[in-house]
Amino acid sequence: LLFAMGLGTTITFASSHWLLAWMGLEINTLAILPLMCQSHHPRAVEATIKYFLTQATAAAMLLFASITNAWITGQWNLEFMSYSLPTTLVTVALALKIGLAPLHAWMPEVLQGLDLTTGLILSTWQKLAPFCLLLQINPSNTSLLLILGLASTLVGGWGGLNQNQLRKILAYSSIAHLGWMILVLQFFPSLTLLTLFMYFVMTFSLFISFKVNNSTTINSLSMSWSKTPIISSMVPFILLSLGGLPPLSGFMPKWLILQELTKQSLAPLATLAALSALLSLYFYLRISYAMTLTMSPNTLLNALPWRLPSNQHTLPLAITT
Amino acid sequence: MSLPKISRVPASRLLSAVHDPRWPLRSAAPLAVPKRALTQSGYRRPGQPREDKPPWQRIKFDFSKGLEGITKHFKLLRQEFSDRLVGPEGKPIIEHMLEQNRVIWEFRGPDSLQEWTLSSDREIGGQSEIHLKLGKNNETCFLYGTLQSAPPRDGETRYSGYCSMRSKQPLVSFDRKKHHDWSSFNTLHLRIRGDGRPWMVNIAAESYFTHQKDDLYSYFLYTRGGPYWQDVKIPFSKFFLTHRGRIQDNQHPLWLDKVNTIGFTLGDKADGPFQLEIDFIGVCKDYAHTEDFAYEVYKRNPEV
Repeated sequence: LLFAMGLGTTITFASSHWLLAWMGLEINTLAILPLMCQSHHPRAVEATIKYFLTQATAAAMLLFASITNAWITGQWNLEFMSYSLPTTLVTVALALKIGLAPLHAWMPEVLQGLDLTTGLILSTWQKLAPFCLLLQINPSNTSLLLILGLASTLVGGWGGLNQNQLRKILAYSSIAHLGWMILVLQFFPSLTLLTLFMYFVMTFSLFISFKVNNSTTINSLSMSWSKTPIISSMVPFILLSLGGLPPLSGFMPKWLILQELTKQSLAPLATLAALSALLSLYFYLRISYAMTLTMSPNTLLNALPWRLPSNQHTLPLAITT
Repeated sequence: MSLPKISRVPASRLLSAVHDPRWPLRSAAPLAVPKRALTQSGYRRPGQPREDKPPWQRIKFDFSKGLEGITKHFKLLRQEFSDRLVGPEGKPIIEHMLEQNRVIWEFRGPDSLQEWTLSSDREIGGQSEIHLKLGKNNETCFLYGTLQSAPPRDGETRYSGYCSMRSKQPLVSFDRKKHHDWSSFNTLHLRIRGDGRPWMVNIAAESYFTHQKDDLYSYFLYTRGGPYWQDVKIPFSKFFLTHRGRIQDNQHPLWLDKVNTIGFTLGDKADGPFQLEIDFIGVCKDYAHTEDFAYEVYKRNPEV
């Protein structure tokens, strides 16, 4: 199954024909579905079904858009999308696939129904293939991407404020970060890639630390200082890096994106995006406050984890702006 | 006698009826039950008068009630918005973090009885009864009734005799479902005074598909009769999965982040009166309880 997922993404990477790209996306979707419902819990099955329906809709829209393009231009090649309707439709379909606002509604509930590892795969690996397609098409209307990006940052910030379930918070943070990535897509695509990889590293380390603590709510996180004090001291750094605070590496993509936006004379947009990053920073701060700055009244029995997590989460600290 | 009239067929016409199967039906007397189209419109609780009006004649249009409903829903919506400013579910996050006990249902006034639905055997034609009223001093709820396990005579039911009380699904503005989020707790705490009968506590979590709508997580509640109150603490890890009353083979733990209703069922096969008094129903966090799930999850009889 993991091989099939890798295969799917690779096919999409290597494709220059629309049908092949679509096939790669479909293989990706279908391969992750059994992974998602492995736990046989009805909530996991519900998340799988929701994911399947949204991704299938997106794939159908994608196929429709590519066929329309082929009908009009006779071209099946990925780079030559010259008409606005297919391009817009492709953008919208890919936005649904990765969970940008306003097509984000499936994301928090799907992530909530999954266990942490599968949620990690969903929010990191599954974003690669649609992004490579997004990078290759020429967007014909700039405002669509900007609207999607801004809406995603706003929604990601506002939606995450009222949650105390960690997986939903991670879903909203994913939406917000994807919004940032989309904002700069048409101006400076390598910045998008940079943000994407930074986001991957940070989310990966966050998911792994939550998995080690075996916690899915903020309350259970408050116990982690007795279980894994090292991780408890690192997680605030990761969270603040996700929020984009200066000395940490998460600030770098945000700074460069804001710089690029102002160069393109979109300063009000840049201001709005920066302000909505504040919203998501609030709930990152809340999590780190719960984890490190509070001592809960009673401690659980120390269940020491006997498997070592990967050391990747030290990378964000090593890279500074 | 309300049996439909059976038409008497003269013997000479029986032979021709062999070739024409529609003949006996045509000459049958008009049936005593109403036409299918009217009863198909919903479930009719036994004991309520049968309404033979077609759907378009059953609409009752009342302007003031409609206006009341709209104002009520908008008020709830405004309340929801202001709650969000405080924190999830209207409480600041520090309360969520420090919360160890929460009383969900308390019976302190007649309004609290409105949150509960009673059902019994009577719906399928049996003879059990169940009633709910407030206890002494309006401090507790008093559930009482009679259990009769004589099965209804409809030819299909074999066993009968149950009574149950179930909480209503909490609703937000515009009748949307709201779920209880008990993810920071791990034990159910009840204070009850029963009469020695074994009850069953059922928790219904949010489900998505038609097949899983009747999934309940149940556990036993043994009451000790007696004048003393009984504090019952059941960890949520002990609840096992049942579907329509039958325990399932593939068990999984109850997820506490979307709980819909809780209910109490009495189904022991002892006929007679019963009583149950409930002081409060709450959830608490037992720090010493580290069990994830009390039952085996792996395959018990693997194929070799």
